[in-house]
Amino acid sequence: MTIIYQVITASVILLVGWNLFREKRLVEQMATALVLIPLILRVLMIK
Amino acid sequence: MIEREGGYGRGWTAVVLLLMTGAVLLTASHSFLAMRVDPPIYPGPGVTHVVALSDYFEGLIGTPADTAVYILEGSEPGGTALVLGGTHANEPASSLTAITLIENAQVTRGRLIVIPRANHSAFTCTEPQEGYPQTYTIETPAGPREFRYGSRGTNPIDQWPDPVIYVNAAGQSLAGSEVRNLNRSYPGSPSGNLTEQVAYAIVKLIRQEDIDISIDLHEASPEYPVINAIVAHEDALNIAAEAAMFLEFEGMQIGVERSPANLRGLSHREWGDATDTLALLVEAPNPAQGRLRGQTTAKLIVEGIDPYYVRAAQRGLLYVPFSAEGHPIDERVGRHLQTVATLLDVYNSYTNDDIVVAGIPTLSAVLEQGLGAFLAPPSGPESGL
Amino acid sequence: MSSPYAEMVPILLMIATFAAMTFAFKLPVSVSLVGAAILGALVAGQGVPLRHLVEGTLGYMDTLLIIATAMVFMRMIQASGLLDTIAHHLITGFESRPASLLVLMMLFAMSAGMITGSSTAAVLTTGAIVAPAFIALGISKNKTGAIIAMAGILGMIAPPVNIPVMIIGGGVDMPYIGFALPLLVLTLPLAVAIVLLLGLKSIRATTIDRSLLPPTYHRQYGWKLYLPLVILVVLIVLERALPSIVPSFGMPLVFMVCALVAPFTGRRMNPLVVARDAIRAALPVMGILAGVGMFLQIMALTGGRGFIVSLLVGLPLGLLYLSIGLSMPLFGAVSAYGSASILGVPFVLALLGTNEIIVASALSLVAAMGDLMPPTALAGLFAAKVVDQPNYTRVLKHCLIPALLTVGVSLGYIATADFWDRFLFWDNRLALYGILLAITAAVAVVILILDRWVIRHRVATGEAQS
Repeated sequence: MTIIYQVITASVILLVGWNLFREKRLVEQMATALVLIPLILRVLMIK
Repeated sequence: MIEREGGYGRGWTAVVLLLMTGAVLLTASHSFLAMRVDPPIYPGPGVTHVVALSDYFEGLIGTPADTAVYILEGSEPGGTALVLGGTHANEPASSLTAITLIENAQVTRGRLIVIPRANHSAFTCTEPQEGYPQTYTIETPAGPREFRYGSRGTNPIDQWPDPVIYVNAAGQSLAGSEVRNLNRSYPGSPSGNLTEQVAYAIVKLIRQEDIDISIDLHEASPEYPVINAIVAHEDALNIAAEAAMFLEFEGMQIGVERSPANLRGLSHREWGDATDTLALLVEAPNPAQGRLRGQTTAKLIVEGIDPYYVRAAQRGLLYVPFSAEGHPIDERVGRHLQTVATLLDVYNSYTNDDIVVAGIPTLSAVLEQGLGAFLAPPSGPESGL
Repeated sequence: MSSPYAEMVPILLMIATFAAMTFAFKLPVSVSLVGAAILGALVAGQGVPLRHLVEGTLGYMDTLLIIATAMVFMRMIQASGLLDTIAHHLITGFESRPASLLVLMMLFAMSAGMITGSSTAAVLTTGAIVAPAFIALGISKNKTGAIIAMAGILGMIAPPVNIPVMIIGGGVDMPYIGFALPLLVLTLPLAVAIVLLLGLKSIRATTIDRSLLPPTYHRQYGWKLYLPLVILVVLIVLERALPSIVPSFGMPLVFMVCALVAPFTGRRMNPLVVARDAIRAALPVMGILAGVGMFLQIMALTGGRGFIVSLLVGLPLGLLYLSIGLSMPLFGAVSAYGSASILGVPFVLALLGTNEIIVASALSLVAAMGDLMPPTALAGLFAAKVVDQPNYTRVLKHCLIPALLTVGVSLGYIATADFWDRFLFWDNRLALYGILLAITAAVAVVILILDRWVIRHRVATGEAQS
């Protein structure tokens, strides 16, 4: 189950990252990057 | 959300932001990963051998939940006692008491088995949104010795995801996050999640080692009704009541609670139901755990002083007295040590299979000399000599 | 910082910074929260505690995944045509029973919340399904948003799954037993009252315009179209009904599986683009949650949280009710679960002596109102997304009276806890169920009468117009 959830998290990270590059407003880009922080830490199983 | 046209977002700003995020993650990861290193425990002269919890259930071998079990065996045969510290890694007096026993106690009759980090995985992280420090230090005569402040539950990295509802092996429905709470997982299951496997291993240890009396050490927030108390399975109620009476004679205020029959999955309930052991749980007051606490610092954990709790006590919101002196770790560990010693004394008065343990520091000794006086120096006993 | 009042400074500064950045500088809420958190830590003498800031965001890890996957699922079944189809059949099937339809749709909208314990999940699934039907009945977009937001919240509190109560119970060692009836008695009457309050006037004033009905794709794709929904229900019900046999999938996995099935069941779509846009729609909330996580962590670190909690729970009884009614929804702005944990537990302890099941049930509903509280306002925000209203405050405006009603009823529930204690925990279960059944039947009859009244009124307006 943990691996499945890592896959789900990884897919969300990719979709968030895609939006980060499409976003045209810097402040919204910052908000998007913020969301990546917990997702990446979890997918790498650090925290 | 205000929609703003234009802005300065470009592909390269996204790359820069990603790099910045990476830098933040790298720094934070470094401190998260540091929590996975166990600070040393130095077995005292009473420790005869050290085994692993996985020796009782091999499913734990190589997992972050495997933990050391210290056995102190007397030269004469007698009964066996188990002291469990660190069920909740955010209740420091619990594991510190166990460590003090390992580093000081000497058994002449029977056996004392001590697990200082019952939920080992819980010592490798702190709970989000609580602002806890990752470590705190106790002053020893040879200098400050560092310990970790962990979380209440198993590290989510080791057991993820949580279910929406957790139905434990005893059939009780609980909030999903309780799935990582060792003291809701008893009697455990060999095929369950990591926490349930730890619970299973502990219950198996109790059976296999024929433990006569088992004491689970805890702490609670000062606003929580069950505090400064011994919670006892009905089979152990006499011993708890008698011990409390002795402790009160010595000037230590402590209550006795009967283990509720409908609250399943807790040590004092399931150990007593599933095995022949006398199951007991002991609570001390830890202001760092409370919701009314002020600044969350290592100082608060060790000194136990908090002005908000003083005011809360004045308003009658607490279940323990709380003065400007607070409840320092010396007092909390001293209480636990004294309670363990008294429980064993009372137990001995009922049996021929005595468990005679010398060298357990008393409450007054810990208060007088400080807990550090009874702990090995930071870099081991040899270095301090 | 020895004086407790000195510890007020960081928290007050944090709130002021947040307000300034959001309102004066028009920055996104998430970015403002980060700024406020950093400043609070600096002022409290903690420097820029990176580890704490990052750790705070992890508190919402599971919520982030639920929101992301639920949003993807919702957009997928919207794109496949499933949402339109169900709305079409609901309205045509119940044309002659509009008031009953309102109430039934309300209960249906609640159902996802009842089994998942999440208002977001409810709004984005069953809420999204009935929203087009409410609109077609003549209820405005904003009111429809308000109805499904309230349905999501009441569903989250209604049994069998109520996470806030479990969180409160976890903090006071109270098992999750005996809550079903007290929670039903609390939530169902409110649900019926609220949907009639918000919807009755609008459906009375309009006749259904068949040309405005959402299209049905039933004939085109047949039963295949409903597959994502069927799988969703089967997985959730299996997981809840047989918790000891079926492994816990968790909401993110269930949503993900159903979302992956959706592209093959109806209208053609590019699933990657749909998923990307779904995440884009969810991103502001996800950002807010991450920011709130940082804010909360710094609040706990600097003692601001303890300052607020100890101030609130120490009030005398009369003020205590006021404090519950105000502070729990306010604190719920950071999440209803957080409010249940941080304030719900001390409030239950402050009210010890009253039936704890009644108290915790009522407190969980008050805490749930936090899901309507900006800046997060999860239920209101997602309801606005469902009805395609970019400004979620317009939806929240219609939630105000229902929310006040709900808080009032909840506080009344606590104040009259002794009565409910005797009635709901009456040993004579047969008499108890008899009374409850009779009341339910009476309400059903009233609704059936309302149906006829609405139709008759509608005919009258129709004649007047012609």
